[in-house]
Amino acid sequence: MIGHTERIWLMLIGLTFLGALIGERGQAGWLLTLTVAVLIALKGSIVIDHYMEMRSANQRIRGILRLFITLIPMLVIFFYGWGEDIRRLTTLN
Amino acid sequence: MRSLDQYPMNTPSTESLSVTVDTEITAPGRIPGNSGIWVGIFCVLVEFLLLFIVYFIAKAHNPEAFSTGPDKLITSAGTTITILLLTSGYCMVKAVSAIRSDQRKASLRWTIMAILLGFGYPIVKYFEIRWNVAHGIHGETGVFYTVYYYLTLTHLVHVSWGLMGLIWIALRTGVGAYSSKNYSGLEAAALYWHTTDVIWLVIFSFFYILR
Repeated sequence: MIGHTERIWLMLIGLTFLGALIGERGQAGWLLTLTVAVLIALKGSIVIDHYMEMRSANQRIRGILRLFITLIPMLVIFFYGWGEDIRRLTTLN
Repeated sequence: MRSLDQYPMNTPSTESLSVTVDTEITAPGRIPGNSGIWVGIFCVLVEFLLLFIVYFIAKAHNPEAFSTGPDKLITSAGTTITILLLTSGYCMVKAVSAIRSDQRKASLRWTIMAILLGFGYPIVKYFEIRWNVAHGIHGETGVFYTVYYYLTLTHLVHVSWGLMGLIWIALRTGVGAYSSKNYSGLEAAALYWHTTDVIWLVIFSFFYILR
């Protein structure tokens, strides 16, 4: 019988193969950037809420973990969209 | 403001808890593991957040290198590591679940399985790096590969610590140190292990998928 933990594991493995497929065929662009951002947020949230059991744990700790796994995809999008501005801002001379 | 010590720990015997079929404990405000492990986990998250910002800035300065870089890496190696870590993490979920039901032997078996799968990571990494070097991909090949080696090897160091932690809790489980009333050490090691999962999921996406 497949239980809750097994379903979560299968979902994570499925998303990993989807990511690998996209990695093999994907072309640089907004579609790939947004897909990667969604995949990171989705897989990270699943691990945090189900493997780490954060759904029912201390909400401050959960909040910090959720902030981390939300911030990274946002940075992926931000740095892709504003890469030129970031480059100018981080050039020393 | 309440300090972390004021929040309840995993002491099911003194809490009014509801336990699901998968023995996930649902007690509002509970701190899984112990306070100490969360200090370590948050330090690791901050460390990798800074390293990810280095990745983003390097990418902003070298978009071409980061667009073509992943083409030369073996996607299947990254995928295999991801599957090994996620499956090892699954085993630790089962190990924690088993100890909550006082099934010490089952908990030990799941922990050993998690360790064996975890050791698959450095083995795959070794062959991946060997392949890379044979194909002229080393730390000085280009900025993408410099960042790739730096981030993945830093992660490997954290995974090594996690594996040492898992070996320690396997030994402790073997001598009967954990029970349904006292398993914070086992749960803390599992939480650290899951954190390395979360970080690898980001690294995998950055170096093998994203262009």
